[in-house]
Amino acid sequence: MYLTKEEEKIYDGELGWAYQISMRILVKLGDLYGAERLIPIGSAHISGVSYKTINDAPIEFLRALLESGGRVKVKATTNPSGIDYSNPIFTLLPAELIGKQKAIVDLYKEMGIEDSLTCTPYYIEPPKSGTHLSWAESSAVIYANSIFNAWTNREGGPSALASALIGKTPNYGLHMPENRRFSALVKVEAAIRSEADYGALGIYLGKILGNRIPLISGLSSRDEDFLKQMGAAMATSGSVPMFYLGKPETVEAHEIITVENRDIQNVYENLSSALEKPDLVFIGCPHCSLNEIKTIASLIKGRKVKSDVKLWVCTSRFIRKKASDYVRVIEASGGQVICDTCAVVTWLRDLGIDTLMTNSAKTAYYAPLTNKVKVVFSTLKDCMIAACAE
Amino acid sequence: MEVLLKGRPIVPGIAKGTALVSTKPISFLGGVDPETGVVIEREHDLYGKSIKDSILCFPSGHGSTVGSFVLYSLARRGLAPRAIVNSVADSVVVVGAIIANIPMVDEIDITKINTGEVVEVDGGSGIIRIFRK
Repeated sequence: MYLTKEEEKIYDGELGWAYQISMRILVKLGDLYGAERLIPIGSAHISGVSYKTINDAPIEFLRALLESGGRVKVKATTNPSGIDYSNPIFTLLPAELIGKQKAIVDLYKEMGIEDSLTCTPYYIEPPKSGTHLSWAESSAVIYANSIFNAWTNREGGPSALASALIGKTPNYGLHMPENRRFSALVKVEAAIRSEADYGALGIYLGKILGNRIPLISGLSSRDEDFLKQMGAAMATSGSVPMFYLGKPETVEAHEIITVENRDIQNVYENLSSALEKPDLVFIGCPHCSLNEIKTIASLIKGRKVKSDVKLWVCTSRFIRKKASDYVRVIEASGGQVICDTCAVVTWLRDLGIDTLMTNSAKTAYYAPLTNKVKVVFSTLKDCMIAACAE
Repeated sequence: MEVLLKGRPIVPGIAKGTALVSTKPISFLGGVDPETGVVIEREHDLYGKSIKDSILCFPSGHGSTVGSFVLYSLARRGLAPRAIVNSVADSVVVVGAIIANIPMVDEIDITKINTGEVVEVDGGSGIIRIFRK
């Protein structure tokens, strides 16, 4: 890989260990994946924030980076943590977890990384078309590439952090135009109507596509909140980095994947592991947009959440503030609008949750594995019916 | 008898030790206990074995990118392998080996190495020497 004189100095350690180790990570990944040089990035988004997910392992590394002078060179944002410190329900958690989580967020902040603590950083600042990014969080990667035409590989926590410190990423993969073409055609013949249907479609396609980029035809709506569910799910059951929508001009030389009603029905059946009623109804994976919170408020207005059910609506602090009128409606009904975390990355069992109901296919896929809870997967409307008294 | 294998250099450094060979991919997050260096994934063929000071040979890494940090924590506690030999390097293990400063080579046919053999890994040249009796 070609390095500028300045990059070589960093590689040789002239700016200290934090920058040297970051540069070594980027150069080695570049060598492995055939990059010829580093390119500047507009922003980095860093995963590996929730103490529930990462545990103690990264704390020592983050502290060593900070102590050797590591500070970010570009705008850098963070994925959700395990706790909303402004919400009293999290005080039920053991003190050790609360303290460790705070230590992690503080380490990132001291390196100059924003405590945005959301998987939807694009609502706070949408990336510009054609900008190179170094983003972790697979649902944000597929959204940035597909909806904003920003350019990012599927980074992991450590590589996104290294890019944030250097301000650059190795030029390979989705940073090259030739790797952003679709290589599979999807023809949706199933009736895909709700956001949950889009999520189920995503789970089905991710398994077949692996890491390929599809061109998807036959979708009736291009509602961005629905596409967010589809993308997050494709990046969950597969590692799809990007999708296109529209009709193919030619269909030669491409595999055609046809999706029928029964394929979607199978996903619903596989994702629902619970027959009993939920003790938590969770909306907000990925974190809710302003429009989603508005829809929830309109569905719940004048109704009451059942006394034995919790309703969590998860979003960023930024969106919660913008949605304050709708937040009041949801809270008046007995729901909670929670920031900085979500059901997947907090300690659900410690908070007394056994059965979760959600409209997110991604959560329905992960929660039984990572949170050991049972899941009911259905539409937002069904979720609201289950949450509220008649 | 000495057997030489040539792979791709990933992380420089020379290390000699006893080979611990697995036929299964390793996820360091959830697969290895960062407090003890013991493999804790029940389905794994190295389940219950310590990777400390070994020449750890396995096909590839998989799983969460947090796995890189687990290798760093193991190294800080003196529980890391002396070297890593992979069939195909995966970015989680590569980043982990870089930050933990563990010599690493890939593109090696690891079926040619047996657990218990004394092996020397040169992460700078990609050469692996197996010392057979």
